[in-house]
Amino acid sequence: MLELQRNVIFGQFVDTGSFIHRMDARIKIAVTFLFVVASFLIDDFLGFTLVLPLIVLIQRVSRIPPGYVLRGSQFFLGFLVFILIFQVLFYTGGVPESSYLWRWGFLSISTTGLYTAGILALRVILLYYVTTMLMLTTSLVDLTNGLELIFGPLQRLRVPVNELVLVCVIAIKFVPIFIDELERLARAQTARGVPFDEGGAITRARRIGRLLVPIFISGFARADTLTIAMNTRSYRGGRHRTKFRQMHARLSDWLVLVLVAAWLIAAWQI
Amino acid sequence: MQPDGPILELKGFSHTYLEGTPRASEAVGEVSFGIHRGERVGIVGATQSGKSTVVDAFAHLLRLKPGQVFYEGEDVAAPGYDRGRLRREVGIVFQRPDSQIIEDVVGADVAFGPTAAGLSAPETRARVEESLNTLGLPYADYRLRYVHALSGGQRRRVAIAGVLAMHTPVLVLDEPMAGLDPRGRRELLELLIELQRERELTLIVCSSSLTDASLLCDRFVVLDRGTVVMDGPVREVLREADRLAELDITLPEPVVGARGMRELFPDFPTELLTEEELETELLKRLGAA
Repeated sequence: MLELQRNVIFGQFVDTGSFIHRMDARIKIAVTFLFVVASFLIDDFLGFTLVLPLIVLIQRVSRIPPGYVLRGSQFFLGFLVFILIFQVLFYTGGVPESSYLWRWGFLSISTTGLYTAGILALRVILLYYVTTMLMLTTSLVDLTNGLELIFGPLQRLRVPVNELVLVCVIAIKFVPIFIDELERLARAQTARGVPFDEGGAITRARRIGRLLVPIFISGFARADTLTIAMNTRSYRGGRHRTKFRQMHARLSDWLVLVLVAAWLIAAWQI
Repeated sequence: MQPDGPILELKGFSHTYLEGTPRASEAVGEVSFGIHRGERVGIVGATQSGKSTVVDAFAHLLRLKPGQVFYEGEDVAAPGYDRGRLRREVGIVFQRPDSQIIEDVVGADVAFGPTAAGLSAPETRARVEESLNTLGLPYADYRLRYVHALSGGQRRRVAIAGVLAMHTPVLVLDEPMAGLDPRGRRELLELLIELQRERELTLIVCSSSLTDASLLCDRFVVLDRGTVVMDGPVREVLREADRLAELDITLPEPVVGARGMRELFPDFPTELLTEEELETELLKRLGAA
């Protein structure tokens, strides 16, 4: 039966109590940001190959099973492959005649196109991987506090940091809830004779469509309840909120930041 | 299939959600019991006891391992088993009606199951009319109403009607009384008792409260943290009221009263189903004293 949570791990938090889990959330966000920047700066396969050991290291230290992350990313990877096929076929950059492997009308496969698509794929995978790892290893409370502290200074410029962070975090938090809800709906509808566990890809996709209306209705209802709950507990955003738990970055956290920065710069420059 | 074997049977059924991932959680471990045709069984237990997992197993709505769940003596997880047929025979009314209502309009939703099962239009119409009328939602009045404009109690009735229209020999209800007012509960209780008798249904009721289940069922299977801790006729199970209370199961009012009486009469029986029985028992004691 549909066990969607196996296949979509986006937004989940898996507490293994590892060193990465115990790191200061601000440092983790900063490290993620470094990776994001690096994914745009690095533009050859050698660079990405050099980043690989760092990723293996992060994966090992986090104690999150790699198989779990891989299986949980299969939807994303499938989608990526789909996009890349188009990227290759419709590639129209300055392609020298010699690099064409196959051509038919405006469709073509060229080594330049393949190369660009490959780099693009690695970029997107790196981006996806680091943000997923950030969420897998950081609880929502820490993530919120970390983001608020990092962007806190912007509040002086009247940027509503608190509210923006809250909106983002609620959005992320709702992903697993929706997946759970989808699963429940699919089970109930299967019991009534819509077999979600049978049939080809297109029939399955059409059945998923049946879930959209109820999921939207329950989504609005949830958002409504959440608003009321926050209001009744006198929530108000803004920079005057104080925190019960204070964050402390340890020396080892800073060391990680410096190490990752150095490694990524090396990968970019070589 | 054996003619007098159980219609539904769990043999060492265990289930772990998200097995093999870091988020795995064991819901049910090694549960075994059988349900016979025409039986009225209550599956009771507190939250997290595994009731809903057991319900989902009955209609093969989980990733099942072979050799654990049997319908009419056949392993439902065997390769090539017709799950569609199983789901046309085991009707489930889920806890939240909204999750199983598919169409926007009452009539269309009740017709969904029969249509999917391949019934002709006139036959489907007759089933819809019959089911809605049975549940006290007059066909002429309700068939074109929007589901989302109905009250919670009415939506539950629509959900039940949708399952009834399938004419399933097995009817499973997950917390059917949750969220209903006393009158709605009484009406639904009477209706279910009558339906079961008329159609000779195999009735399975899941609940964390014995209040209505003790009047609706003949037998209780009590679950606690994924295992069967008691299994027997209703009165026999109610006799162990103290143990049930320890398991966080809501007791019927007469049983609560009887437990109170034990302060005066330490051997006061707790296997009472109605207020009348409690009264009779009390008068007997007072007369003797």
